[in-house]
Amino acid sequence: MVTTPQAVVRSLLPLAVAVGVAVGLELLLGLLGFYAQKILFDIGVNIILAVSLNMVNGFTGQFSIGHAGFMALGAYGSIVVTYYGGYALFGDVMMHSTVTGYALYFVSILVGGVVAAGAGLLVGLPSLRLRGDYLAIVTLGFGEIIRVVLQVSQPVLEPSEMAAVPWYEQPWHLGRSLGFVHSGSYNTLGWTWTAVAVTLLVAYRLRESTHGRAFLSIRENEIAAESIGVNTTRYKVNAFVLAAFFAGVAGSLFGHQLGAGTASRPEEFNFMKSFEVIIMVVLGGMGSISGAAVAAVALTLLTEALRSFQDYRMISYSLLLVIVMILRPQGLFGTHEIWHLLARFRRKGTR
Amino acid sequence: MAALLDVKGVSLSFGGLKAVADFSLSLAEGSLTGLIGPNGAGKTTLFNLLTGVYQPDVGEILLGGQRLNGKRPYQIAAAGAARTFQNIRLFGDLTVLDNVRVACHLRATRGMWAAVLRTAGYRNEEAAIALRAMRLLELFGLAAAAGKQAKSLPYGQQRRLEIARALATEPRLLLLDEPAAGMNPQEKGKLRELIARVRDEFKVTILLIEHDMSLVMQVCERIAVVDHGVKIAEGTPGEIQKDAKVIAAYLGTAESGAAAE
Amino acid sequence: MSSFLQFLLKGIAVGSLYALLALGYTMVYGILQFINFAHSDVFMLGAFFSWRLSVLFKINEPSPVAATGVLLGAMALCSLTGFLLERFAYRPLRRAPRLNVLITAIGVSLFIENAGQLVFGKNVVQFPPLLAEHTFEVGGVRVRSVEVIAVVTAFALMVGLHTLVYRTRMGKAMRAVSIDHNIAGLMGIPVDRIISLTFVIGSALAAAAGLLVGITYGQIKQPADSSWVLYGLKAFVAAVIGGIGNVPGAMLGGLLLGLSEQFVAGYLPSELRDAIAFLLLIIILLVRPNGLLGRRVVEKV
Repeated sequence: MVTTPQAVVRSLLPLAVAVGVAVGLELLLGLLGFYAQKILFDIGVNIILAVSLNMVNGFTGQFSIGHAGFMALGAYGSIVVTYYGGYALFGDVMMHSTVTGYALYFVSILVGGVVAAGAGLLVGLPSLRLRGDYLAIVTLGFGEIIRVVLQVSQPVLEPSEMAAVPWYEQPWHLGRSLGFVHSGSYNTLGWTWTAVAVTLLVAYRLRESTHGRAFLSIRENEIAAESIGVNTTRYKVNAFVLAAFFAGVAGSLFGHQLGAGTASRPEEFNFMKSFEVIIMVVLGGMGSISGAAVAAVALTLLTEALRSFQDYRMISYSLLLVIVMILRPQGLFGTHEIWHLLARFRRKGTR
Repeated sequence: MAALLDVKGVSLSFGGLKAVADFSLSLAEGSLTGLIGPNGAGKTTLFNLLTGVYQPDVGEILLGGQRLNGKRPYQIAAAGAARTFQNIRLFGDLTVLDNVRVACHLRATRGMWAAVLRTAGYRNEEAAIALRAMRLLELFGLAAAAGKQAKSLPYGQQRRLEIARALATEPRLLLLDEPAAGMNPQEKGKLRELIARVRDEFKVTILLIEHDMSLVMQVCERIAVVDHGVKIAEGTPGEIQKDAKVIAAYLGTAESGAAAE
Repeated sequence: MSSFLQFLLKGIAVGSLYALLALGYTMVYGILQFINFAHSDVFMLGAFFSWRLSVLFKINEPSPVAATGVLLGAMALCSLTGFLLERFAYRPLRRAPRLNVLITAIGVSLFIENAGQLVFGKNVVQFPPLLAEHTFEVGGVRVRSVEVIAVVTAFALMVGLHTLVYRTRMGKAMRAVSIDHNIAGLMGIPVDRIISLTFVIGSALAAAAGLLVGITYGQIKQPADSSWVLYGLKAFVAAVIGGIGNVPGAMLGGLLLGLSEQFVAGYLPSELRDAIAFLLLIIILLVRPNGLLGRRVVEKV
């Protein structure tokens, strides 16, 4: 294997650009109002959710409708790290601008992702034997089980109580249905959009690779995929684990949102949240990475715009969903990426 | 020559129906054998047994001395058996090139991390895969259609693409399930040359299910005849044409069997 | 011991409602092979139609006659809803991939919930006392008369459906369509009409379940409350547990689910009740993928 230093640098160029953008946003942070920041957070988190769900639903053609459950695990997993870890390290839950402080948050995001990925493995395993609707209902059920389990956890420990509880029992003190109260607000636009960049990069590179084609072959024809040597079981589980990991990361970011010092309640991660992500993936086009991302942006903005028309928002979404399914079943972009469609459009224009 | 494929006394029943009964077949390395029989005789079921879609109730299947019983289809593909399907199963929404590239996956060695990090080794491998896929498409006269969606191809080309895809897994044994079905006489002629060429160039052993008797008789060195899940005859095309049992199975003469196609 | 009996009786009461609802899911799945997500909304509408009908006819006193009238009215209205649903949302997608149908069903479900919210308001509604409430004790166990009536009504309807499906010509046609649309069509069975009929019957049963839920709990939550969907999902789970497409299976699954929920809630933290359905589902699917009474399906290659 020949790996020239230049090749490594070149291959990381898109990521460097994306992180640059994230750092730029981070610097802009002070200039943006709270509302603009909040929307940019929401957009980022939703892009990660939609693009990751697309790995299961769009790439492999399996049908998962319990994405919010993985997100919940990510949120709670990472909050446990920053809350109990923060008290152990600093004696509070504030974000500390030191190497240790950043490292703590970084580790918490990873923990959130890994906890969710572990759950993804658990859901992926029954999926080996189930197809279509059955799998859908199991994933949904799994999300609900996670929500219910969070609701029967123990109350969050106050700093004064922590010494009395051994560290390995602390992660079970998640605040019952009240949610994880007093979690810290660590997240910034830089963190969020770096995560967005990594998610997009991984999704895109994977799909364009030989492994990505293996994913797609399962969606297209499972029997033929097996016949050419694709271990469909393994790839389905891989897709679940990967998607769950990024959903967990999105949950970690969501759980540490600016001003979210209040709570992440289990109720926020019920199946309605999962449905919202599905709507994004379906509208964008199953299998289209940019489609899912664009739909995530559009629906987040639309939700904000329609905030004063709450009652009509879900009515219009659901109608939109049904109409798209009947008139354009492949979603707005189908399996294509935006730049494919733009290129085609430009060709037509010049002719 | 040593036997590449050895099927020893294989049986399979669905409920009370015996689909394949005590079936044995031995294919020499590099041979080109036809598998014929009336509709519903159990030919495709046999392919499904060979490729792990079904598991035999009794009997043993060996490929190059390796036992295939209990293996899943993807493991059998890795062991060196590739197939096409009677009812075409392409990856319709993928491009023609990707249909072949995805089959190269089997022999690819770079992991997911390498793909995400785009290491040099991974990129070399991808380039090699693309090159090999294009060569296969050229051989099958599909290079011009490389960028098209597989489902948009005409029927005959779809059948050829399936063979190309199967070959991309670098098999030792190639199982073709009615490759000429739905082709016009001209296409069939080309297909006949292609099958012979594939065997010589890729050094594969071929087992061919086909209803077109003239094709089978011209291209195959040996022929096995199945009826009601039982092998009723095996021999050279000349011997098969004269076999009384075969003629009886096809209701009268061998010609009427061909005409029924 | 008396608490055991209490959980048993309560389990049967809740279970028979799940069973009633599960029948609608199982019938549609048997014929069209998709989860009719909107079934839980028809069920919700059943409760709200009953409420509106009672208000409309100023029924303030418990009366069996009035209750029967409201039941029939709600069943008729829900049947119409089910018919329209199939005709305008699902029929255009009859040949579409199953995923699309499933997403459409989710969309329709969200639509009915939120539209229902506009029509019926966003508050919990006190359900009118259609039946007289008596409580009597049997062997140290409290039994509510409305629960007994709910169980009896549910079982009567289920027996009726069973007779319809397995003893009549129409039922034979339904079973034929569920095996193969095309061949049933070639045999002269009006496939579209049979499918419509399936929705109509399933919706009528859901309406009955809606009314019975209202009577049992005395109040109904707002249309978009997630408890409706959850109730429906559990009923679907019951259908899967029993063996999807199988009428006795749905009844068995419903009862089994109702009983397990009551016993879990009785002996363990009650919040776990909502998780038990899905745990049961996962276990059953891993051990017996086709449910307790289901048959094995082989995919043709």
